[in-house]
Amino acid sequence: MKFGLFYELQLPKPYDQDQWSEDDELRIYHNMLDQVELADQLGFDYVFEVEHHFLEEYSHSSAPELMMAALSQRTKNIRLGHGIVLTPPAYNHPARVAERIAALDILSNGRVEFGSGESASDMELGGFEVERGLKKAMWEEATREVTNMMTATPYAGFEGEFFSMPARNVVPKPRQKPHPPLWVAASRRETTMVAARLGMGSLGFGFETPEELGERANEYYRLVREECMPIGHAINPGLAVLNTFMMGPTDEEALRRSANGPGFFSYSLGYYYNPATGGKHPVGAANVYRKYRDESGEAQAQERQQRSGFLAEDEIRQGEPEEEVQRALYRAARSGNAIGTVDRLRKTLKMYEDQHLDVMVFVAQAGDRKHEDIMESIDTFGRQLLPEFKERHEKTHRKWRQEQLQGVEFPINSSI
Amino acid sequence: MAKPDQVKDTDLRAQIEKAYAAMRSGNGTEAVKVLSDAYLYLLNKYPEMLDETIEPRPGRKMFAVMRWPMLGANLTLDSVTQKRPQIEFVRERFAVSEAITYYEYTLESAVARGA
Repeated sequence: MKFGLFYELQLPKPYDQDQWSEDDELRIYHNMLDQVELADQLGFDYVFEVEHHFLEEYSHSSAPELMMAALSQRTKNIRLGHGIVLTPPAYNHPARVAERIAALDILSNGRVEFGSGESASDMELGGFEVERGLKKAMWEEATREVTNMMTATPYAGFEGEFFSMPARNVVPKPRQKPHPPLWVAASRRETTMVAARLGMGSLGFGFETPEELGERANEYYRLVREECMPIGHAINPGLAVLNTFMMGPTDEEALRRSANGPGFFSYSLGYYYNPATGGKHPVGAANVYRKYRDESGEAQAQERQQRSGFLAEDEIRQGEPEEEVQRALYRAARSGNAIGTVDRLRKTLKMYEDQHLDVMVFVAQAGDRKHEDIMESIDTFGRQLLPEFKERHEKTHRKWRQEQLQGVEFPINSSI
Repeated sequence: MAKPDQVKDTDLRAQIEKAYAAMRSGNGTEAVKVLSDAYLYLLNKYPEMLDETIEPRPGRKMFAVMRWPMLGANLTLDSVTQKRPQIEFVRERFAVSEAITYYEYTLESAVARGA
């Protein structure tokens, strides 16, 4: 199992103020650069950064290509993942996506992971006038053509349903051939299976349990072997899942440092993705963090977190919503799988490793967690846990994965 | 996860296989049309499915069949309440990824029902 970091660039407003301080955005951007630089030095494999627009407090990461460009010059080995680029053409013209991915791949000497997706929030869809019912079709058409632009000399042009352009040679071409590994954001089981059928890595937002993951991994790889119809020119078989992450010298201290990270992450995600709240968001005027604290009740939230941080899986599952996305939010707020001491993480992460997860991506920057605590957690994990997982990845997981991919007839470009 | 050969009803299986072939050839539109017919066939053969409800969030019930993907080939709520299920096409073209979504749902539903 490989490991990465995941960034939304969350920036909750101060509870008692209506706006951020002048330096707050500068602070979180530069903190991220420092965190990823440290992770790179310690051998973390990936960083993934989202593209979101207008989601105040939840995500201030609207231009990830710039952050990735900066990171390409401050890091040496870590893979630079778009997690994800919004590819419906109203967000980003496909030719601009192809150009930026290729340029970043050159700048980073071939370290780009190209994740794509559609988003689902009213703030973003409405802001760019993307019709909700067509976004999946837009994503597919544009993503397919981006891979064609990155490989064809010249690109023959395209007359599509959602964009058209004449023949042009889209330059530069990416360093990785035929193009960087492809990922797609997958918040539901069915999207994971779409990823398998299209030959893409699944960047999962489902916060799966190890048992669910085991089933999903087996089915995912079966579909890659037997029923793949690649969207690109090389497939990237791989399952990545998110997990909330914070370490400490004791479990209790790790929980304290974790603060409201998982709770605010889950609350603000639900807030923006629920049309009843996100669709009515008073732009520029809301304080989502205050709403979160007022609605959850600070004392109750603290108490719940203390109680729920280390619940057993079956206890966490009690009372889970049936609907898949709601369930993911519920778990995001409650699961303590990657929160705790070295010993606790060794044990819990091993369960995912045993189920053949390819990549575990940590959500460390969330809510109002402290930069110093995140840095210490990255450092502790990188020094005390990462080496043993890396060793098993090379010795065991690679072999398992090769067996899974036996007989696959398509070219593979994957960093796993 | 379900596979087409688990579907016992030969007509239904033939429809699902036809949709799969359309998907493989890149024809998402054809696949969605065939899958819509297949789902309506399933609902008509097992009308008790139209009465089943789920509770996606506490206190909020919905007809289980309305989980059918609403990507442009939409099962109408009125037709479900009237027990005469209909799928309304609000678009003419469908992508392969959309067809895959309909395919997975239809196949899972058929196998889960024992069809």
